[in-house]
Amino acid sequence: MHLAAHGFSIDLPRGWEGTISRRLDAVAARSAGAVGGAIPLVEEQVLPVVHLANFGLPGDRGDFGSGAVEIMGPDDVFIAMLEFGPECAGTALFADTRLPRLDPSKFDRNRLQRTLAGQSGHQSWYTINGRALGLYAVLGSHGLAGKLVPRVNEVLANVRVAA
Amino acid sequence: MTALVVLQSVVLVVLVVLVSGLLRSHATILRRLHELGAGTEAPPTSRPRPPSQLPGPTAGRPASLPAHDISGLGLDDGAVAVRVVEVEHDTILVFLSSGCSTCGAFWEALGQPDLALPQGTRLVLVTQGPDREHVTLVAELAPTHVPLILSNEAWHDYAVPGSPYVVLVDGPSGRVVGEGTAPTFEQVLSMLGRAVDDAAHRSRLASHRGEKAKADAAREAEIDDALIVAGVRPGDPSLYRSVDQPSAPDEGAPP
Repeated sequence: MHLAAHGFSIDLPRGWEGTISRRLDAVAARSAGAVGGAIPLVEEQVLPVVHLANFGLPGDRGDFGSGAVEIMGPDDVFIAMLEFGPECAGTALFADTRLPRLDPSKFDRNRLQRTLAGQSGHQSWYTINGRALGLYAVLGSHGLAGKLVPRVNEVLANVRVAA
Repeated sequence: MTALVVLQSVVLVVLVVLVSGLLRSHATILRRLHELGAGTEAPPTSRPRPPSQLPGPTAGRPASLPAHDISGLGLDDGAVAVRVVEVEHDTILVFLSSGCSTCGAFWEALGQPDLALPQGTRLVLVTQGPDREHVTLVAELAPTHVPLILSNEAWHDYAVPGSPYVVLVDGPSGRVVGEGTAPTFEQVLSMLGRAVDDAAHRSRLASHRGEKAKADAAREAEIDDALIVAGVRPGDPSLYRSVDQPSAPDEGAPP
């Protein structure tokens, strides 16, 4: 399957699914004024978020996968790519210009947004085609990192970010 | 007197031949049954799977069509791709519209946080694309906790005749195992629940059949013991001779 929106383009490997979205302002969408017009987006966060997973993603998720990481099994992998504001592009934290090829040493139980037993995470930041991006990946089981990290790399190799 | 002894001997020989044939026939039946897998422990069944005609077959459509992964748009004009084929879980696809009156009851029910879905199933809502759907109205109706996709392609792939329409996809096989509609989503769930119960019942029956096969095995062991006591061991030629074959002259003769 192929996902493309908001300047991201991803060929999903077999068994993977995903979303490219921007946070909706649900309250405003429900207001009478919103009917018939464009759906408002949350004012403070209108930048795209990419979620990719080799398990069924629930509908209600936080940007860093809360709501999804809790239901992960040991063989599951979750990847989030979050775009940051243009002021971040090219700064020291976002200095790298290519998505990485990860190895198990890049994952740690202390790098999770929310610590869950057995899981480990990775975070890194990039500027690709002038867009500041944060990568966050979660392994369902750190003990299976040797098997799961290549799956992360397989997906990242298929991510394209337009300017 | 001699004639009587000879007659008795002949009767005994005939009886021995008959019993040998009977035992051989029994052994053959048991061997065939074992070759067919009877009497072996049934593999542990995973969760019961709903049968192929629920929530309700649509007349005139072939059963068990191949399912399709779904891709389309999200409510924010983003992209969504949902895998339903070759996954461990089953997927309940609910095709809805913002405008149809029956769909209203579905939208309302789907907004409840605790949907009593059958175990191991995932719920996904599918509306038509933005060119055929009032997206803002859908956003107003759609629950946030259930994935929703706007996809004309999915409606086409699943040949959805109208809304509301429910399709049940068996994840591991990647096939449609049930489809249809009902006035309310609760009724759909009820049918799915009954399907799971029926599947569990069939599973129990299957395990009961397993017990019966074990009884056969016990009987077989009992017969084996009797044969061994009688001097008929495994591989004995008498076990592999048909009833109409003449027995050896000395076989079955009284000691």
